[in-house]
Amino acid sequence: MKIYVFVKRVLDPDAVNNYALVGKLEIGADGRSLTQTAIPDLMNAYDEQALEVALRLRDAGTECTIHVVTVGADRTAILRHAASIGADEISEIVPEDPEVDVHTTAALLAAFVRQKGTPDLVLCGRQASDDDQGVVPALVAEALGLPLVNVAKAIEKHGDSYRVTRVTPDGDEIVAVEGAAVVTLSNEVGDPRYPTAAKKLKARRVSPEVVTASDLGVSGATRTKLVQQFVPDVEQNCEFIEGASPAEIADRLIERLREDRVLP
Amino acid sequence: MGSTTVLLYSACPREGSTPEEARSALTLGRATAASLGGDLEWFLLGAKPSDAEAIAAEQGVARLHHCAAPELGADTQVAALEAFCAAHAPRIILFCQDFDSRVVAPRLAGRLGAGVVMNAVAIETGEALRVTASAFGGDTRGVYEFTGDGTAVIGLQPNACLPEAAESPSAPESCAFETDLGAVGERIVVIEAASSEGPRLEEAEIIVSGGRGLGASENYHWIEELAEALGGMAGASRPIVDEGWTDASHQVGLTGRITRPALYLAAGISGASQHMAGCGAAKAIAAINKDPDAAIFRYARYGIVGDCLEILPELVRAAKEQRHE
Ligand SMILES: Cc1cc2nc3c(=O)[nH]c(=O)nc-3n(C[C@H](O)[C@H](O)[C@H](O)COP(=O)(O)OP(=O)(O)OC[C@H]3O[C@@H](n4cnc5c(N)ncnc54)[C@H](O)[C@@H]3O)c2cc1C
Ligand SMILES: Nc1ncnc2c1ncn2[C@@H]1O[C@H](COP(=O)(O)O)[C@@H](O)[C@H]1O
Repeated sequence: MKIYVFVKRVLDPDAVNNYALVGKLEIGADGRSLTQTAIPDLMNAYDEQALEVALRLRDAGTECTIHVVTVGADRTAILRHAASIGADEISEIVPEDPEVDVHTTAALLAAFVRQKGTPDLVLCGRQASDDDQGVVPALVAEALGLPLVNVAKAIEKHGDSYRVTRVTPDGDEIVAVEGAAVVTLSNEVGDPRYPTAAKKLKARRVSPEVVTASDLGVSGATRTKLVQQFVPDVEQNCEFIEGASPAEIADRLIERLREDRVLP
Repeated sequence: MGSTTVLLYSACPREGSTPEEARSALTLGRATAASLGGDLEWFLLGAKPSDAEAIAAEQGVARLHHCAAPELGADTQVAALEAFCAAHAPRIILFCQDFDSRVVAPRLAGRLGAGVVMNAVAIETGEALRVTASAFGGDTRGVYEFTGDGTAVIGLQPNACLPEAAESPSAPESCAFETDLGAVGERIVVIEAASSEGPRLEEAEIIVSGGRGLGASENYHWIEELAEALGGMAGASRPIVDEGWTDASHQVGLTGRITRPALYLAAGISGASQHMAGCGAAKAIAAINKDPDAAIFRYARYGIVGDCLEILPELVRAAKEQRHE
């Protein structure tokens, strides 16, 4: 069977958080891009988890080809990482405009899959940690006419159907889906595997297939444009509570909370 | 048939009253409709809340559409909305963002070929329709412009705005929307439902939450004890849920529960944006962290710089004492 895993390269969210915290997150001259070269980029963590689930399906005995695909130019580093842990094929789709929106991204991914032939599973991250949108998988599912199971942590194959464990606000839920589906994975999958040194070295010799938007005949899919990005202000007014001992501090906090009617 | 300007869509799986989020979405929708020179409408699918008419009037809704549905799976919702859009061609469809609408909204956009923006906190109408949305867990905001005049699908963050009654109430016209949903087959079948039991973190008035600063799994009980002593519920940051110190239903944050208690007490939590996305709307945050520069103190109203393992037991004692006073 054929499993596609869609992966996005993102700026390290922890580094972005750290820069934002000290008020040093820089927005470029265009007013919308984060330009700090010191912030590393990496594979979106949920996408690593999606790839991990594909590899676990294989570990469980499912014969499959795992094809990792990304939209964006010069994505060799994350694609080689995918190859080093077990992806069979890696492809990069180069969009017309590097500032591609979610709609065009989804149109490109769907067109790519259509061109390659029917998938059995399309695995994505639940959301990208840069835009937090979580819409590309749904747009792809609609474009391909496939059902979407979101926020999953495990997939089991039973004949032609899948059993997917979803992490819902009310606890885990198990759903069944017949035939091909798009599934988004969450951090509850657990830690993704690392490559061995030998496999890492071997992956340095593989190069991704490069496909362009015009190869796929996709244009005019843009629906939204990021026109500005800014760092919101946080109003800071913390009253620090001190005391000679933990007991005194605790008493003071409870007292203050009652005075301010935060506690009844 | 005239076309709709701004529509709020609400899925109502069971009878009950209108959630607060819908009121704030209607408030935001009303301002947006007014700036576009049109009306605010509301579409309810499923079991109509008993207070829907009253809320609609309070919020200045012009038309209240209702469609009964036997079941509210994602396929049914998307099909109903697709039919509604074919009949009413709304310029803007608003969703109150929750677990289900995070699937239904973008799928509808895909079905219609419409643009979609989730995590929205503000809408601006001018030469173009622009939406401000949270990104990087809340570290930044992105302003997105919709490029065409077609339908725009917008998911609103739960705390995007405070609900406010319209200057004068409206007399909403009740419209039954009929569409045949019988033929829609749900492609996803639940074979083992989630077992939600007890009260939900989203509704808690007091939350005591712990993070990695607790040091070890066996210290999480201090969080539970303090929560109990204060009459609240226990929360957690993602890393300690991942570590299994408590289960996922306690996770607060961007990808966990979005809470808005009167008091959020965070112990050993650094205050990463993705965590704050789930508690930033608390009326008051109290934080215990040994690092005076921890991000959490930027959001906290009350701060304690110290070891949470020393402070928490004393807080449990103090909370119990005051309860007995
Ligand atoms: C896309 C995405 C989604 C995410 N979603 C969520 C989410 O929903 N919820 C969530 O919580 N996180 C989420 N995260 C993770 C988030 O970015 C942070 O990594 C996480 O919140 C940190 O958890 P923490 O504060 O417990 O741990 P840390 O960041 O490790 O902080 C521990 C804190 O404890 C303090 N400390 C240590 N020892 C003590 C002591 N003895 N007494 C007092 N203080 C002490 C330290 O000074 C530190 O500030 C997400 C991340 C991404 C990228
Ligand atoms: N540029 C991209 N290339 C490949 N996959 C992507 C891309 N953008 C988004 N995705 C996939 O869609 C998921 C959700 O992304 P988003 O809708 O941007 O939050 C990601 O976790 C990826 O699996």
